Amino acid sequence: MITLEDVATEEFGSIWIEIKEGSLCKIITQSEHEKQSFLDTILAFKKPAKGRVLLFDVDIYAANEKALNEVFHRIGMVWKDGGLISNLKVWENIVLPVWYHKGKLPDDAEQKVADLFQEMGIDKSRLLKIMGILPGLLPAYEKKLICMVRSMLMEPDLMIYDAIFEGINIEMAERLTKLTTQFHTKKPGRTSVYISSDEKSLHHLHTNLAFIQQGEGFIIWS
Amino acid sequence: MIQIINIQHIGKNILNSLETQKDSYRMFHNAMKNITVLKNPSIRSVLYRQIYFTGIEALNKIVLLGTLIGIIIITQVKNIVGSNAVLTGKILVWTMLREVGPLFAAIIIIARSCTAIAAELGSMKVNREMDSLRVMGINPFFYLIIPRIAGITIAVFILTFYFQVSAIIGGLVLSSLLVDIPFFQHVASIFSVLSFFEIGISFLKSAIFGLVISTVSCYHGFGVQASITEIPQATIKAVMQSLFIVFIFNGIITLISFL
Repeated sequence: MITLEDVATEEFGSIWIEIKEGSLCKIITQSEHEKQSFLDTILAFKKPAKGRVLLFDVDIYAANEKALNEVFHRIGMVWKDGGLISNLKVWENIVLPVWYHKGKLPDDAEQKVADLFQEMGIDKSRLLKIMGILPGLLPAYEKKLICMVRSMLMEPDLMIYDAIFEGINIEMAERLTKLTTQFHTKKPGRTSVYISSDEKSLHHLHTNLAFIQQGEGFIIWS
Repeated sequence: MIQIINIQHIGKNILNSLETQKDSYRMFHNAMKNITVLKNPSIRSVLYRQIYFTGIEALNKIVLLGTLIGIIIITQVKNIVGSNAVLTGKILVWTMLREVGPLFAAIIIIARSCTAIAAELGSMKVNREMDSLRVMGINPFFYLIIPRIAGITIAVFILTFYFQVSAIIGGLVLSSLLVDIPFFQHVASIFSVLSFFEIGISFLKSAIFGLVISTVSCYHGFGVQASITEIPQATIKAVMQSLFIVFIFNGIITLISFL
């Protein structure tokens, strides 16, 4: 699913990571900057000095634009800052990838969105209030929740959660843990990757697979 | 000896400018090659939004300015030619359809939308919204650039038409009041000098101006890298370059049309 073979960047000397299909794993970096660099490397934004990065067995730095778009189509990325499009209203942001890829919205899209927000603990009145506004006016954690709903609506094969448990209270963290682990099991073979530079924020997440940065590389920790 | 004119510096600037034009043209060519992406409803919604922001929202200002320009031209013409309805009509049609109409509409759009687009795209780039689009499997060029180029071109077309109509009507109403020639006689004189050639020139100019403005503003906005300080630089470059190219094309088309 995700394979990094002897990847070297400015921040890392040599990364060897293999995350198999269906895994639920966490990746912990030493700093925010290194986490961003790692994400940029696996999302084809920053070409490594050496090594290969494979997503769904596709070498993302050797793939053409079409193949890369197909790979990205299967990924749900939950950005730390939400990664929302500033000139689109919240509802437009949520449905954008589905609308773009499928050409129309599924009949149950509204219901699915409402259910996901309910599981996150966002009540109906708040939901109705935020749907028609631009995301710039929202608090950071709500942007992250919106991004999560947007990604989940696409039913991706790979979910990457960037620091999702940071900056939220314990109750919300528990809700999100439950929601994301349930979502992980909903589709056979779905892989979930939680990445953070704050080890404590991922401490409560139970998984057998974790990669922790040590020096210029990562070690497997269990 | 102090070197007043640095030839090397001038040469470098010219080469940079040519390189920019080449890249802009490449962007335009790429947009035209992939224009069919507008079939996608989500991309089409960006197109409609662009037409609304550039075309519809600027309509009242364009109509007002057009009327005022028409009044100014008629006042000047009346002072020169007196009560000659045919000549008044001819000058109004020539200046409005061939020159002032497309040029003024283009200048208003450059002032209003060129800056907005370059700044919007630039801030999207700085805030990594384009990266976010890419990870969703959405090509930022298809989603952000192509509908903007198409939308602005259509908007320039529409606004030029409204500008010309309001200028001619405004001018005619004023001249009917100032000069002892009935309104409908003025209208008849306008239609007597109006030809497909004049309309064609006006359409050609607005189409080219629209494509130039949209491509240049998208090019500079899209070209912003990582720093927020690049955004004002991009907007300035977009405005200046759009104005410059629009005036060059205006001169070329006018020259060719009189040959």
